[in-house]
Amino acid sequence: MKILKKVVNVKGWQKATKRNIVILVLVIIAAAVLSVMKPEKEAMLSCTSEEVQNMIAQDENSSRKRVTITYNSLVVINYCSVSSSGAREISERFIGFFGKTYPANEGAAKVIGQMVNYTYRMLGCGENVMHGAKLTILLTALTILIGVVLGIFLALGKISKKKLLSKLCSGYIFFFRGTPLLIQLFVIYFSVPSMLGFAWRDLFSAGDNQAVYKGAFVAALIAFALNSGAYCAEIVRAAIQSIDKGQYEASKALGMSYGQTMSKVIIPQSIRRMIPPVCNEFIMVLKDASLVFAISLMDITTISKNIMTSEGSYLVFIPALIIYLVITACFTYVFDKIEKKFSVYE
Amino acid sequence: MENYEYILETEHVSKYFGELEVLKDINLKVKKGEVICIIGPSGAGKSTYLRSLNQLEKITSGKIFIKGDLFLHREKGKTVERIDKAKQKQLLLEMGMCFQRFNLFPHKTVLDNVMLAPITVKKEQPKVIREEALELLRQVGLEEKANEYPNRLSGGQQQRVAIARALAMKPEIMLFDEPTSALDPELVGDVLQVMKGLAQSGMTMLCVTHEMGFAKEVADRVIFMADGIIAEEGVPDKIFNNPENERTKSFLKSILNA
Repeated sequence: MKILKKVVNVKGWQKATKRNIVILVLVIIAAAVLSVMKPEKEAMLSCTSEEVQNMIAQDENSSRKRVTITYNSLVVINYCSVSSSGAREISERFIGFFGKTYPANEGAAKVIGQMVNYTYRMLGCGENVMHGAKLTILLTALTILIGVVLGIFLALGKISKKKLLSKLCSGYIFFFRGTPLLIQLFVIYFSVPSMLGFAWRDLFSAGDNQAVYKGAFVAALIAFALNSGAYCAEIVRAAIQSIDKGQYEASKALGMSYGQTMSKVIIPQSIRRMIPPVCNEFIMVLKDASLVFAISLMDITTISKNIMTSEGSYLVFIPALIIYLVITACFTYVFDKIEKKFSVYE
Repeated sequence: MENYEYILETEHVSKYFGELEVLKDINLKVKKGEVICIIGPSGAGKSTYLRSLNQLEKITSGKIFIKGDLFLHREKGKTVERIDKAKQKQLLLEMGMCFQRFNLFPHKTVLDNVMLAPITVKKEQPKVIREEALELLRQVGLEEKANEYPNRLSGGQQQRVAIARALAMKPEIMLFDEPTSALDPELVGDVLQVMKGLAQSGMTMLCVTHEMGFAKEVADRVIFMADGIIAEEGVPDKIFNNPENERTKSFLKSILNA
């Protein structure tokens, strides 16, 4: 609640924050105007050649479609392609921007059109959450969430005075930091089910046509969270050990138990110190999440790779890079703000 | 009436840091309401002794009694008599402590600092304890700082909050471990004033201090420690004006001439 109050308290904001907010609002307004102005699907289809329009009209009355229409609406810009295979091969592409439809069959317009189409697909627009950037972000966020909680317990275990527990936690951390994430992913996805005799897709009902993907997602999440837990444990341990010894003494003198000291005094203070390295870990995981292409989850990397192989377009990796960069930039900014909010007392 | 003669009693307390013997067979008996100042050169074991009373340091051997009950009995680094955990904790809570470096919880406001231990340890209702905490802050003159974070306070104010925080557990004995040593000279007065008020209200106090003026004025008994033993003890008048021990004499000389 306190954090919420601070966010709402506009007067207390810094000048730079206010400026950034103004810029953000202007960008949103501009984007909104452009997105309203851009031509809709019907308007764009009406720009196609007469032949294509006839074919589309015929398709409407027949069960067998001859024309494939792709329509991508990407915030401020639209892309529409009409193609038909068979006896008469037609391919017409358009981009729609600021109230006008431009043909995009060659030159720079073609490249722009392709980029819009690739970006649209890599972001996972028009698909469920198991696609593109949505999958990447979801996987990363859940990984960090579980990883930090796991890391706190592992760190407490590692610094514990109980020898066996400490050894176990140290061993876990050593193992997961000492082996490649990709192999860990393979072990979780392939080896574990084959050893225990189950398949990841069995976790979901047989009727679910997404069961394979969902199963793979769960496997990836487990592998990533276990791995991230080891890294987070070291972050948490460093943060806990950076807290002044006097805090333990004061708590003990007040009669607080070890558990109370940890939960009420030490960990709340460590969390502030954990934010920068956890932000770093978040971005590492976001990039490592591209490894899921190895188990065919449809994340940004897999989609860009598929586009490359199916359409022979080698430029597709450039928008992929840019998408990753934009996502990390957004998260870095947000984490920066959180860090500042938490630093009131230090 | 309480059925004990001494509120705090230590018998043959000794403590080793590795090979080094920092406390050598210390015996001390403290009556309820007594104010004791412990003075002495650095490295004498004053702080170690004070900290071993509430188990921040583990003594190597010796017995500690609180309010007539055995609190701790160790011999050769091992606890010989096990005392019921709940009982031991209850006895531990009879002692409040203030540190040289305050050790306030930086992530909590002044009020929350004072309220934390009663809520978590004694499971008291926040509503009830809130009034008491504000009253304590009023006593130390910091009521208006209740919602500030400790880093916004001066050292003297922080130490007074630390006193209020210790008092919130309603201890019968207060231990002060050089409470004014980390303060700017002009801030010392406020803290000493609060301590003086506390002494006058009948609190039993053990105070490791370098403030000789305070010791002279407030203490019922002054203990001079050197090399891990109580070299000399007595009323302030005797210690400061008629010291018998050579070490006491040279210590006082070096302090008073500085």
